[in-house]
Amino acid sequence: MRFASDIGGTFTDLAYLDESTGAVGVGKSKTTPGDFARGVTETVKSRNVSVADATFFVHGSTIVINTLTERKGSKTGLLTTKGFRDVLEIGRANRPDIYNLYYTKPKPFVPRRYRLEVSERVNFKGEVLLPMNEEDVRLAVEFFLSEGVEAVAVCFLHSYANPDHERRCGELVKKLAPGLRVTLSCEITGEWREYERTNTAVLNSYVMKTAGEYLDTLGRRLSGLGMKTACHVMQSNGGTATFEMGRRAPINMVESGPVGGVIGAAVIGRIADEKNVISFDVGGTTAKTSLIEGGEPRITTGYRIEWSKGFAGYPVLVPTVDIVEIGAGGGSIAWVDSAGALHVGPESAGADPGPACCGWGGKKPTVTDANVLAGRINPRYFLGGEIPLYEKLAREAMRPVADSIGVTVEEAAMGVIRLADSSMVNALKLVSVRRGYDPREFCIVAFGGGGAMHAAALVRELKVKKAIVPTNPAVFSAWGMLMTDLRQDFVKTCIRRTDRVDSAELSRFFDEMEGRARDSLKRQQIPGGRVVYRRSADMRYAGQEHTVSVPLPGGAVTPEKLSLIDERFHRLHERAYAFRLDTPIELVNYHLTAFGVVDKPDLKKVDGRALDLAGACKGRRRVNFDELGFHECETYERELLPVSERIAGPAVVEEPASTCIVFPGQSLARDEYGFLHIKNDTTGG
Amino acid sequence: MDIDPFTVEIVRSQLIAASEESFIALGKSSQSPIIYEVLDYACAITDREGNIVAQANGVPGFLGTLTFAVKAVLEKFPPTSLRPGDTVITNDPYVGGGNHLSDVALISPIFSQEKLVAFGVNKAHWTEVGGMAPGSWTTDSTEIYQEGLQFPVIRIGKGYTLDRSLLDLIAHNVRTPDRTLGDLYAGIASLRTAESRVKEIVDRCGVDMFERCIAEILDHGERLARQALAALPEGTYRAEEYMDDDGLSGDPVYVCVKVTIGKDRFTADFTGSSPAVRGPINCTRTRLHSATRSIFKAVTDPEFPVNDGWFRPLEVVCPPRTVFTAERPSPVSTYWETGAYACDLIWRALFEIFSDRLTAGHSLSVCGTIISGKDEDNETFILVEPQAGGWGAGVDKDGENGLVVVGDGETYVMPVEVCEARYPLLVERYAFNTPPAGAGAFRGGFGLIRDYRIVCEEASLTTTFGRHKYPPWGAGGGNDGSENGVYVFKGDKKKPVLYGGKLARYPLEKGDLVRLQTGTGGGFGPPQERDPQLVRADVENGFLSLTDAREVYAVEIDPSTLRVDSEKTKRLRGAKQ
Repeated sequence: MRFASDIGGTFTDLAYLDESTGAVGVGKSKTTPGDFARGVTETVKSRNVSVADATFFVHGSTIVINTLTERKGSKTGLLTTKGFRDVLEIGRANRPDIYNLYYTKPKPFVPRRYRLEVSERVNFKGEVLLPMNEEDVRLAVEFFLSEGVEAVAVCFLHSYANPDHERRCGELVKKLAPGLRVTLSCEITGEWREYERTNTAVLNSYVMKTAGEYLDTLGRRLSGLGMKTACHVMQSNGGTATFEMGRRAPINMVESGPVGGVIGAAVIGRIADEKNVISFDVGGTTAKTSLIEGGEPRITTGYRIEWSKGFAGYPVLVPTVDIVEIGAGGGSIAWVDSAGALHVGPESAGADPGPACCGWGGKKPTVTDANVLAGRINPRYFLGGEIPLYEKLAREAMRPVADSIGVTVEEAAMGVIRLADSSMVNALKLVSVRRGYDPREFCIVAFGGGGAMHAAALVRELKVKKAIVPTNPAVFSAWGMLMTDLRQDFVKTCIRRTDRVDSAELSRFFDEMEGRARDSLKRQQIPGGRVVYRRSADMRYAGQEHTVSVPLPGGAVTPEKLSLIDERFHRLHERAYAFRLDTPIELVNYHLTAFGVVDKPDLKKVDGRALDLAGACKGRRRVNFDELGFHECETYERELLPVSERIAGPAVVEEPASTCIVFPGQSLARDEYGFLHIKNDTTGG
Repeated sequence: MDIDPFTVEIVRSQLIAASEESFIALGKSSQSPIIYEVLDYACAITDREGNIVAQANGVPGFLGTLTFAVKAVLEKFPPTSLRPGDTVITNDPYVGGGNHLSDVALISPIFSQEKLVAFGVNKAHWTEVGGMAPGSWTTDSTEIYQEGLQFPVIRIGKGYTLDRSLLDLIAHNVRTPDRTLGDLYAGIASLRTAESRVKEIVDRCGVDMFERCIAEILDHGERLARQALAALPEGTYRAEEYMDDDGLSGDPVYVCVKVTIGKDRFTADFTGSSPAVRGPINCTRTRLHSATRSIFKAVTDPEFPVNDGWFRPLEVVCPPRTVFTAERPSPVSTYWETGAYACDLIWRALFEIFSDRLTAGHSLSVCGTIISGKDEDNETFILVEPQAGGWGAGVDKDGENGLVVVGDGETYVMPVEVCEARYPLLVERYAFNTPPAGAGAFRGGFGLIRDYRIVCEEASLTTTFGRHKYPPWGAGGGNDGSENGVYVFKGDKKKPVLYGGKLARYPLEKGDLVRLQTGTGGGFGPPQERDPQLVRADVENGFLSLTDAREVYAVEIDPSTLRVDSEKTKRLRGAKQ
């Protein structure tokens, strides 16, 4: 039995999979702030499943991001190269909100008095210009202890090229103060750019205590329930690591939750034989999307917490699945500005007070209200009828918007849906077209409470091959986590021109990283035979700043392979930026990804023998299909749909937690795994 | 209304997305650090008459310049003479939205069903356009002809094909032909992106609907701006300042503004400012417009996406041939310094009525720095970078420490590790500059110190550090901040051989240390009214000495416990009042 548990803002989800039958079960309970671990154990208990049989447990948690955004971490100190203690506060000095002349920069997580300097210096080649003064370290540690500092980060200049000083400093700190939690920047990443690396090390130290204690508590309670298998955390890179790794480098868990859905989307793509996938997750407040090419999610090291168009945020230099998030979800509020233009979001009614139609006190019209008014959501079948929705309340909330722009309530509702669809389309274009990918070569995997609702409109607009709606779309992130492997990423910066590089040196870089990966995965009970390596390099034309990620072959690096790599770079660069140059090429960063592959069971197939379309049909209702007008259309119960039978749009397919719309000119079919496929009838243009 | 508001909103967001996409396309394919790191460029889409409907900026300085570039094209090339794929190039500082020769605009018409529907336009700071100095801008030119190649609104491409002769001409007149042409290609790639996106939009909604949407987008911008304007207190607000000098003589340069806020008009009148000067700090009328626009935007609504409708209520008045309205052949290569003063004057004039959206004076000068020379492979290197400085205090917060100035925006300072790998320089310090200046109930933010040790045989240094003689202004009883300046030290000698603001190709040799120092912003409110606990925090953080705590802020802090001695503080503060 495999278990995955995912803590979100409102709900804690559980998904489990019986390896002998391929059957999937799910559970949900309210998130329990203050004691998140209780929510996890409660979902387990509520489903009456035995964790004693667990062979794999993975946990996605918001503990790290919450500790950071609520500023509830440890009192943290920083040791850095002499002359550079202000780097953490200077940041990159940018003003993202360019017309805001009252801007406030991100406040550093370590105040200046706890940023202490150590006399030492290494240059960009890794040569020692000045040996480290150990006395500086000793005095700093004494000061930290006298001030009650609980955690320390160490980041020296150019430690990506030569980490000796950081390592020696770490040893000294541990010897002098065994109780201090310590992060060395070189242990988190070997990538250059001192502000970003320092900030990453600082944030890691800042959350170490909270994350460690949380994982200890959870581990203990799960053992108490009889769990015997090793527990894993979901990492931002889309892979898992053991709780032990999670304690040491908790910053890798910062985007722990949303990546589950992306990994799940990649798995769905694999099962449906679609290697190019755009994941599309519509929740209450936002929509999230990510691109998966050839079965691989895109990874970035440019992630920032609290980043927005108007705020620089805090960089976290760890590999993170590249997710674009926009303020358009089911709860996003529609409003009219003072000069008469209509907008949707980014403000959201969330779960409290919620959309107006819920009757929980929300008075502002949301996307969900618009969907009710357009006939797209069945007010009597929301969450399987558990929560009745009131069309009247939706209408009352929408009326002021309709009046102020001079249209009917129905027209206003349709307009709100069109605007929400339009911003979702822009987000999907951002991850595809803008990065040089043609959406027509991709298929959308739509999930979250509202993914299926908006998927058909996106299929129409973007002309993607199709949209797939997986089973249990509302707990899909947890399901995705069930399908993950252990994963560790390593990065090293060393700039070399490809026409001058020593191939033996490159081989050495990768050998060294593979050695570290092997050791680490071995500690996590993964035998060497189960480790798969993947290499890539960030490359650019000499003189450029922006790099392109280029996959590299495994094994020893040879001059022949290098010329192949050059050609591959030219091609990828041309795809991303539409041109190639005849200038020398530089290697900048070397990436190694190591997967510890775990067995994944086959999914259970739908037994469709007793099912037919007539049995699935629940009735007819009037639905607004935008410029295609209102249509009376059949509504179906998803679980009762027969397999592989084409249903022509317009149509509606309902399930308790989600509704799927099919436009005229589209069709839908349920496949043998129960996934819904929505296609345009003609995919010309 | 004869169009539905949803379509307008969707077209608006698609046009913004298109301008942002073309912005990204330009930045990512460029080879110039000024473009990809300083983001000294902008991309826009205009209607067929040249009005901006969507613009993406990295810095505020290009706001409002692109519309003039398109209008200059229309003046020279009637719409009937334009064909799909035509590209026009201009960098004329005196007409058509020009700034200085390094800022090159590219313009392409966009057609749908053989009808001209829009223009794509972008403008970027090219690293090299020739002229008397590497990097093309310098502090000692005296006429435009020394500042590089001029492109006087000419067609460089016809029907998607570039004019080879012109490319050859450019390549032979600049120091880094590959990079300069690279900047050109990046700009053209961006135009093609804009073109294909706009065509997609028009194809979906039709030419007629597209044009009606654009009209409504502009009108909507104007309505918002007029509403914002109506809420402003009517009146006349003035400010005057001195700029350090023109780089050639030591004489200060007088500048002033009178801002009049009326019911439906916002007028900035710079009459009375100094005539154009001999050195290259002059700016032209375009920059005056964009300065006025960016402050207007800042005080009305900094967030809402810009379009030309916003600026219909604005008026800029200034006689010709002043330091703000230079004409051919006045040198303009460091025009941005004077442009910044145009911003700062309006800012200062309006501070008292917009203290929730404006801070006290900040270090203001971009502190442009060029270090060039030969690296160990004997290849030419040119480091060109801005410096971040201290910002002024607000009515309820201390100033920001180390933030790029108003003329910069989403501009990133270069990491030390990247800098050392790229140039033969060793950065020995990057830290706050913490003189006890800019004191106030809320104090000014700190500027920065960046120390470069020269590790190649020889190099040369050009800087344009304004506010070297006249520091940032304090407000409401707060003190003025401190000045920007450049030091040069020989070896480990403690005494600098030089301290100045504007340098032109100053020779450096191995072992020299260049200290680039930016100033503290102005304070707000009397220093004696600063919360003693904030003073104590500044002492703890090493920003302030115990002596300065006492002498500047009248706060007594116990040296052993670092606690505020409230009795003594009360007495000190009583004595000072």
